[in-house]
Amino acid sequence: MSTIVALSTPMGRAAIAVVRLSGSLSLSIAKGLCVELDNVKPRCATLAQIRYPPTGEILDEVLISFFKGPHSVTGEDVVEISCHGSPAVVRQILDLTLHLGARLADPGEFTLRALSNRKINLSQAEAIRDLIAAQTQAAVKQASRQIGGELSTRLDQFKDRLIKVIVLLESALEFVEDDLPLTEVNLIEEQLGEVRHGINGLAQSYAAGRLLQEGVKVAIIGSPNVGKSSLFNRLVDQDRAIVTPLPGTTRDTLSHSIDIGGVPVVLTDTAGLRETNDGIERLGIERTHKTINDADVVLNVLECTNQTEGALDHATTIPSIIVLNKCDLQVSSHGPKHQEGLRVSALTGEGLDTLRAAILQILNRGNVEHEGLVITNARHYNLLNCATQGLDEALELIRRRASEELIVVPLNNALKFLGQITGEITTEDILSQIFSTFCIGK
Amino acid sequence: MSFDENFDVIVIGAGHAGCEAASAAARLGTKTALVTLNLDLIGQMSCNPAIGGIAKGHLVREVDALGGIMGRVIDRTGIQFRLLNRSRGPAVQSPRAQADRTLYRNEMRRVLEATPHLSLRQGKVVDLVVRDRVVHGVELEDGRLFGCKAVVVATGTFLNGLIHTGRRTYSGGRTGEPASIELADALKRIGFPVGRLKTGTPPRLDGRTIDWDAFEPQPGDKTPVPFSFSTDSLEQTQINCYIGYTNTTVHQAIQNNLSESPLYSGKIQGIGPRYCPSIEDKVVKFSDKSRHQLFLEPEGHDTNEVYLNGFSTSLPAELQQELVRMIPGLEETKIIRPGYAIEYDFVDPRELGPDLQTHRVSGLFHAGQINGTTGYEEAACQGLIAGINAGLHTQGRAPFRLRREEAYTGVLIEDLIKQGVDEPYRIFTSRAEYRLALRYDNADARLESYGRTLGLVGDSDWERFNARQTRLSVLRKALETTRFRRTDPDHAALQSQLDSDLGDSVSLGQLAKRQGVTADLVRDLLPAHLRIALVRADLESVLADSLYDGYLQSQKQVIERLYHHDGLRIPTALPFRGLSGLSNEVVERLERARPQTFGEARRIPGLTPAALSTLLVHLSSQQKAS
Repeated sequence: MSTIVALSTPMGRAAIAVVRLSGSLSLSIAKGLCVELDNVKPRCATLAQIRYPPTGEILDEVLISFFKGPHSVTGEDVVEISCHGSPAVVRQILDLTLHLGARLADPGEFTLRALSNRKINLSQAEAIRDLIAAQTQAAVKQASRQIGGELSTRLDQFKDRLIKVIVLLESALEFVEDDLPLTEVNLIEEQLGEVRHGINGLAQSYAAGRLLQEGVKVAIIGSPNVGKSSLFNRLVDQDRAIVTPLPGTTRDTLSHSIDIGGVPVVLTDTAGLRETNDGIERLGIERTHKTINDADVVLNVLECTNQTEGALDHATTIPSIIVLNKCDLQVSSHGPKHQEGLRVSALTGEGLDTLRAAILQILNRGNVEHEGLVITNARHYNLLNCATQGLDEALELIRRRASEELIVVPLNNALKFLGQITGEITTEDILSQIFSTFCIGK
Repeated sequence: MSFDENFDVIVIGAGHAGCEAASAAARLGTKTALVTLNLDLIGQMSCNPAIGGIAKGHLVREVDALGGIMGRVIDRTGIQFRLLNRSRGPAVQSPRAQADRTLYRNEMRRVLEATPHLSLRQGKVVDLVVRDRVVHGVELEDGRLFGCKAVVVATGTFLNGLIHTGRRTYSGGRTGEPASIELADALKRIGFPVGRLKTGTPPRLDGRTIDWDAFEPQPGDKTPVPFSFSTDSLEQTQINCYIGYTNTTVHQAIQNNLSESPLYSGKIQGIGPRYCPSIEDKVVKFSDKSRHQLFLEPEGHDTNEVYLNGFSTSLPAELQQELVRMIPGLEETKIIRPGYAIEYDFVDPRELGPDLQTHRVSGLFHAGQINGTTGYEEAACQGLIAGINAGLHTQGRAPFRLRREEAYTGVLIEDLIKQGVDEPYRIFTSRAEYRLALRYDNADARLESYGRTLGLVGDSDWERFNARQTRLSVLRKALETTRFRRTDPDHAALQSQLDSDLGDSVSLGQLAKRQGVTADLVRDLLPAHLRIALVRADLESVLADSLYDGYLQSQKQVIERLYHHDGLRIPTALPFRGLSGLSNEVVERLERARPQTFGEARRIPGLTPAALSTLLVHLSSQQKAS
């Protein structure tokens, strides 16, 4: 059976990522990655360096754990590579393992192998799936490990502030006979408003986070013969697409994965859009339209020297960048003055860095506040939204001057939802805070 | 073995747990003995002369609804009643009352003496007769042997009690009373894990030496709310309590003498309650506070003794006298009884099932401070449950338990038996997930039918209960059917009074949920025949139901969404040790707590997420297999 490999932790920036191999070649692939691995012992973590084969340059320092079958999660030989959680590093490691004979695992293939090797039974496999879907502490722990603490640090700050508010409200309820300071509604409202804003902002970063996880789809579109395929080849740094001086050379769409500033990008070259009677070309144009609709960013390519033609109207709300190609051909600045756009040359490479930066900028839009911290997990997104909703309810109750026991209900819910991401807060924790904050004891 | 006397149930200790236990067991029809060190001190309030308070008042109402006696006794002997949290929602309001300490004690004894099947016995239990993990009787210090089928141990702070004042230490269960050392040893011999807790009490002052004008009077409620659903009116003349404060002179003097405090000299090992700190603790831990609140609580009509609430201390007696005199208004005051700290043994409550029976010995039940709780009310509700179950046990009937969704009593017991304690456990409303549903005023609707089924609620109380439930449903119906239409003359008047548009037609029930609509207004809008005969408490209960209704529904949904695996049942025979992937420590915790559902397992402290997921995988595979 083939040796499979996959990133076991979510895509995206994180402190640590785990790449897992399963199959008979696991150990030899690991040894191919890191020369120091001659004496690797099963169930022991070994510190190792992964190097680029051609240059010998260090790619990453990693921890290798080897599990000899059948005493492993899948029942086969398993190697886990804990590397640093940069998408670029992860992808390079994955590429290297593929080079050394592994193939990318299908979704759920690790569990399937565990199942067929009788490491688990079907209901356990289902339970594992449920467990991951379920909001249990196990998932919580996994999540906080996966995202390397960055998210939990941020959430802990929100939780702390939320707890402080709950402590004020609860102690007013429970210790009515004690000499406690009066709760200041305005202050509580302000605190909750800020927390709500922060949590909501984090939730909104999911749009960007999803892109990080699934890869950003960038489509190159334009009229025939504006140099889309040349641009494509230039950006992927390979002669993937056939380039000729004839309009309509590209018939089918062609995709390739690249890395722009650590963000995985799936770049797609498309057939030029024009009226045509050629059946094959028409099919290609249909595909172009589909690609545009699926894209996250569109590169709308024009010829810099073309005075007459404007940018293609692709009639969608997808963010697009107007790219003025072939700027090497334009000796003076007689370009189409009505057209704003990025001047590039697929031939010389001029302006490509600016183009890459422009793509990144679109992706980062709306994500400035979080200093790059984004939500990549749909479950987290959902929980953050639920928490935001709880805070909204609480704020509404405060505005209606409701009694504390009511205000605390949605706040506790919000806290529980956040707790499903980073670990639960118990009543005992709240009480402890009360006792350390206030002198209770009639 | 021949016994001097034979009973079905023997209750050891006649404090607040013991009295309820004995009364309940006897009224189930089982031949019951209540054994106490001193018959004159039945129902003694060792600490503050008060019953109730936030969440504690809820417990007393629950005891009452189930047919317990604490509520009736305090209603007959209470000298100041206050409903706390009146300005807040009904779910967190709770009754509290000052008691006349002597009257309370006497009334409790009278009630117990009037209980058929119940015998009072004075004596000191020194051992339990246990054969093959089944309890058969108790042995007394004077050599008497009593046989029985069930024992409730409700020994309070007497179990190996050690009293501290300053550097002086002496054995005692309460000031002036001996500790129960032999019984503590007997429990250890059986193998129970025993820990040590601490509590304390303030000095009692001579009321004639207090300058009362220096304190702010705190009157009781004009319309007192009684504890018992069966009480129509209160008997005792109502009095004031008084509020005062410490000052920095007192604080400085305490700081200077910390070395005299057994708390700070390291003599006291037991853990005290954080919510009931000694004045030493308050001064040290909250040194930024320039004053701490004090309550002067008269202990009764016929005594000069005054309880200095908020000044619990174990400093030397002579120093207590000096400190008290530094408080404005107490310059001339004499201490009648000094405060003290007491350390005592408790048995890990994780040894118990939800019926409060020990896993270790069949027929042996624990209730009150022996389980690590603090408070008369916490003790009473456990006593009631233990007494009921001891009685049921001897009758071969199924045990009685309360769930945390239906009663604070259920919350308390589940917390104890699942999580154990590391400080004296007190009830708080925030411990109840469903606190909006667990109100003091609906304890009857929640629990009285259980009391009736068990046989603890008598005919007249049951009739009274049913009459109230009927009135409530009539009221609910009236709120639904009384409508105000735009064509009605009332409609316009109401609109202008409330300053908002009511729509074309609005029911009284909908109206009641609006901001600014008071219970008084709702009463005035009721049909005349209902208004005249209206019982105020009925209207308040109905309005509370409707206030919380929506929240309860959505809260339930949220909880279900969060914890949808919680309902998975854990088979009682499940061998935790057989599950691969669980560490020994986790197996021990699970075996000790014996969770019945995944939700209960989730609440056990120290269970790792990995252990929980292993358990969950196992449970769901079991469920799919069956």
